[in-house]
Amino acid sequence: MSAPAAASRAEARRGPFPWDLLGVVVLAIIAAFTPDLLRFVFDRASVSYLSIASNALSLAILALSWDMLARTGNLSLAHAAFYGAGAYTTALLVKHADVPLWLGIPLGGVVAVAFALLLGSFTLRLRGIYFAIATLAFAEVLKSVVHHAPTDFAGGNAGMNVPALFRPVFIAGEMERWEVAYMRNEAYFYVYAGLLVATVLASILLQRSRLRHAMTAMRTNEEVAGVMGVRATRVKLLAFTLSSAFVGMLGAVEAHRVGSVLPEQSFSVATTVLALVTPIFGGLYTTLGPIVGAFGLSSVQELLRRTFADGYLIGYGVVLVLTILFMPRGVVGTLGTFFRRRRKGAQR
Amino acid sequence: MSVVLTAKGLSKRFGGLAAVDDVSFEVEQGEIFAIIGPNGAGKTTTLNLVSGLLVPTAGSVTLHGRDLTTLTAAERCHAGLGRAFQVVQPFPEMTVRENVLVGAMFGTPGISRADAERRADHALEVTGTTNLAERDAEELTLMEEKRLEIARALATAPTVLLLDEVMAGLRPAEARDAVRLVRSVRDEGVTVVFIEHVMPVVRDLADRVLVMDYGKVLTEGRYADVTKDQRVIEAYLGRDDDAPPTDVAAAAAPAGASGDAAEDEA
Repeated sequence: MSAPAAASRAEARRGPFPWDLLGVVVLAIIAAFTPDLLRFVFDRASVSYLSIASNALSLAILALSWDMLARTGNLSLAHAAFYGAGAYTTALLVKHADVPLWLGIPLGGVVAVAFALLLGSFTLRLRGIYFAIATLAFAEVLKSVVHHAPTDFAGGNAGMNVPALFRPVFIAGEMERWEVAYMRNEAYFYVYAGLLVATVLASILLQRSRLRHAMTAMRTNEEVAGVMGVRATRVKLLAFTLSSAFVGMLGAVEAHRVGSVLPEQSFSVATTVLALVTPIFGGLYTTLGPIVGAFGLSSVQELLRRTFADGYLIGYGVVLVLTILFMPRGVVGTLGTFFRRRRKGAQR
Repeated sequence: MSVVLTAKGLSKRFGGLAAVDDVSFEVEQGEIFAIIGPNGAGKTTTLNLVSGLLVPTAGSVTLHGRDLTTLTAAERCHAGLGRAFQVVQPFPEMTVRENVLVGAMFGTPGISRADAERRADHALEVTGTTNLAERDAEELTLMEEKRLEIARALATAPTVLLLDEVMAGLRPAEARDAVRLVRSVRDEGVTVVFIEHVMPVVRDLADRVLVMDYGKVLTEGRYADVTKDQRVIEAYLGRDDDAPPTDVAAAAAPAGASGDAAEDEA
């Protein structure tokens, strides 16, 4: 064994510097100061900037959760179902049970996991496109069930109202009108930030554990992985559980923020599409990729919307297509390859 | 010697076709056991039935007296069955060492990370791939890939290792290396079951040979005996050949990796 190899082996044993965990701390600190910073810079316009930032965080949670399942080689088209399950759970709780509002959020996660395990148990043998189609069907079935459930139970086509989690009170003379909206948005922002930090930590734990190797092996070839002792079924169900838990909680929070649940809106195909487009844009199978994708896409969309109010979605589509054409491994994947090549070139 | 692996009455039907039909054999501790036969004889299907990639229509597989028939491929791996594939499929997003580490970490449930790393390093050493450890798995040559394939399987700590046509596609010099490699695996105390087309390799390596044709066992025994068997010669060459050769080896060895591949070894 050569000396540098031995040195790198020793480093591996001690563990390399935990950049990923440091990243979480930095992210959390930035998030903690973001509302005040926005308010300082934009004054009353910060209300809408906070809302945009919350959307970006929400997209990051959705994308990162989707990626955790994708790492096992299963491309889910069911994330709208988990999202909707969470949203309807909290709405139904509010309507039918006298429990604290916040309880709907963890329970939304639990119900989403239950549905995910149900879906997981009968799609375990399916691979690739067949898996994707089955999951898409599952989301449509859930939407249809909610739609056709008795109206006085789940609201049918008209949906249900969901009260806001936070209701700051306007105190005349002590604050301005817009500050009420600011406080509400700030509170939601922190909820999203907290949920994103939890999602990121789960993703990092996966990436640091031996499960990362199991997932990569399964993604390449599930048969070979199995022959090498990887219990693919267990790993898949774990990935389903983690992935759906965060999306379910996200769906519940968003139901409160939006103020209502509707079959078409809570089980929207758009949610599923965003869940997979964002990691593809940012870089698949990493913790950083989906986050970069979420902030990248949100920024692009916002910039375009402000530049051409009409038809900005066309520009958004063009950006997406160009990215996938020229950066098939996403922003993070492409940059990673670029830096690795440069380092290798420097060594030679 | 004691029997480690038993296949009893293994059958696999695909619709009306019996790919494997009532195949039974016993493999003894520490031996190198070859499965040969013409293309389509059902050799790989048999290996898939043993390693759990296919569910048999009938029959059973026993390892160390433990019935594996209802277990998944992963559970059979944990029980001590290793498997290397004919079409080598390394995990391309990992280094060579990480590939081997997958086998080490998941082949033995509950193994500590440190033990898995030690086992992976040992498997790299046995297969002569230590110097490739930090390379990306997608940068390997075919022979290096084959070494990796065996290293991965070896890292799962098998008592029986199933090898599917390790020599396929190798040049003669490489085939010689591969023969040495299989021997060193056996010297690790691992029982080897292998499928092979290159007859000199079979002659040099195999303690016993099982001959299959049309999904059935034709005969079983020492290399020298089975290759003289008239049924085996017919299976390989057909019954009404113009010039009936008497040596299966000469007829069955494909071009490229023939004769001299193992001659020097003998």
